[in-house]
Amino acid sequence: MRQIKQTTRRSIAFYTMIAPWLIVFLSFALFPLVYGFYLSFTNYFGFNLEDLSLVGLKNYQNVFNDKDAMGALGRTFLFAAINVPLGTVIALTLALLLNHNIRGRSVFRTIFYIPSIMPAIVTTMMWKNILFTGNGGILDRIIGFFGLGPVNWLGYDYALFSLVLMSSWGAGGGILIYLAGLKGVPDELYESAAIDGASYMQRLFRITLPLLTPVIFFNVLMGIIGTLQQYLQPILLAGDQLLARPIKPIYLYVVHAFQQIFANQRFAYGMALLWVLFLITLLLTLVVFKTSRLWVFYEDGGD
Amino acid sequence: MKRISLSRVFLYLVLLFLSFIFLFPLYLAVINSLAPWFNPPTAVPTAFKWENYYWATELIDFWRYAKNSLIIALIYVPLTTLSSGLSGFAFARLKAPGSNALFICVLSTMMLPGIVTQIPTYILFFRFNLINTYIPWLVWGIGGSAFFIFMYRQFFRTVPLELEEAARIDGCSIFRIYWNIFLPISLPVVATVTILTFHGNWNDIMGPFMYLREARYPLSTALSMVGYKPPGGDNQTIMQVTMAAGLMLALPIMVTFFIGQKYIVEGIVTTGIKG
Repeated sequence: MRQIKQTTRRSIAFYTMIAPWLIVFLSFALFPLVYGFYLSFTNYFGFNLEDLSLVGLKNYQNVFNDKDAMGALGRTFLFAAINVPLGTVIALTLALLLNHNIRGRSVFRTIFYIPSIMPAIVTTMMWKNILFTGNGGILDRIIGFFGLGPVNWLGYDYALFSLVLMSSWGAGGGILIYLAGLKGVPDELYESAAIDGASYMQRLFRITLPLLTPVIFFNVLMGIIGTLQQYLQPILLAGDQLLARPIKPIYLYVVHAFQQIFANQRFAYGMALLWVLFLITLLLTLVVFKTSRLWVFYEDGGD
Repeated sequence: MKRISLSRVFLYLVLLFLSFIFLFPLYLAVINSLAPWFNPPTAVPTAFKWENYYWATELIDFWRYAKNSLIIALIYVPLTTLSSGLSGFAFARLKAPGSNALFICVLSTMMLPGIVTQIPTYILFFRFNLINTYIPWLVWGIGGSAFFIFMYRQFFRTVPLELEEAARIDGCSIFRIYWNIFLPISLPVVATVTILTFHGNWNDIMGPFMYLREARYPLSTALSMVGYKPPGGDNQTIMQVTMAAGLMLALPIMVTFFIGQKYIVEGIVTTGIKG
């Protein structure tokens, strides 16, 4: 009898404590999600909420017939395929370098981490106005030093490269999590490896990296989700208005959705665009999870 | 012995070189923010025009936007920190019918691209007449954040059971146990969540752009929308003043990071975010 009372009391406490989250989750996350899905099947253009009519799959057909959308989707995949591995390698390398017993470790850590928390607007202003600009920009002067001609960094040929370069500068955001993961590698493993005469590279590839794969997995997943949604930096690089339209090479998928919604008032179509991206993200997440069994090492043998 | 010290030297050289690369753009931002108006970018300090910082606050309504940023942060940050902690504790220490399914909901929200729900959320707030108010941040604050609920949960799961049981024998209610035992020992996590939430909130451009109008914009959104033009109609943006304003926007981020860096590192280690 007392046992039952105890579990009911705990259940009541549980639901009381999560109530704030649960209520907001249901009404401001789940409901908008479902509502947005519904809107993507209507002719909603911003002012006709009272008078919506269902148009079936028309918006979705338009997504796949929209050359700009499909081009942007391909470009976004390309951007993610470059950006996620590059960012992972940079953050991981920095963390491995810092994982030595060295002086000034926390100073170096701060230096590598700070760019990742800079406000997006500050980062882009800095790169755009000082480094990329054709008007005596610093990057042009640096490559000029090596005898290379000025480059139109934000023009058609180099804009994607510049975007990747700028993103890489902020790639140090992952180092804190990697360093925490590296702390979790038991010293005994290194000691016994040292007795066996293993080199640094052997220890890195046989012990450190395999034990770090769960952390790498988490970061790669978050990186994919974040990169597929990237739209702010291309917009800010394009102009000093949030409705500025970036040039083709950095015209990413969500930028296109953003343009359709805010510049063209095509709300229902924009929702269809975003839902397609959402489904792609889900699918990719699923694939990454499935393949993770092949390369992620779990100490407790899975699950 | 000699070999080891050589590789040490090499390691330091690599770290110094990388530090130079990571610091260089920031260094450029600082010296250009002090350069004369309309000069081309410079890589060496040419002048120290501190008045650029004055003009950054004078040419646009800088302090009003800064005040708006502060109001939004004061509404959102403490609420999120508290609410996430409460949910994180419940998920870590209390079992109830449906608690596992609800936790999967928390995890899925982390995967959900925020942009998918933004337009319908806008319609919702529009229906309640809450556009151009700060109420949305109050609501989001109360709801907490999935990522930080997860972080708190990971941490609270590591707290030994005996601590909780001793308190329960003394007749403490579950809320008292949370407030008097769990919260005090989780100070590094609370600090981490507070600072990271503040950073996300302070840097947010799109949320305010969608839900607020110009007079209520926070600094981050304002700086992305209004360029610094010289008084008297010339239409060219003054890069130097823009950089000064940007650095002032970044200052609270850097200061809070420096203050909390010890906790953030500790907080991430103890929560062992792995996925």
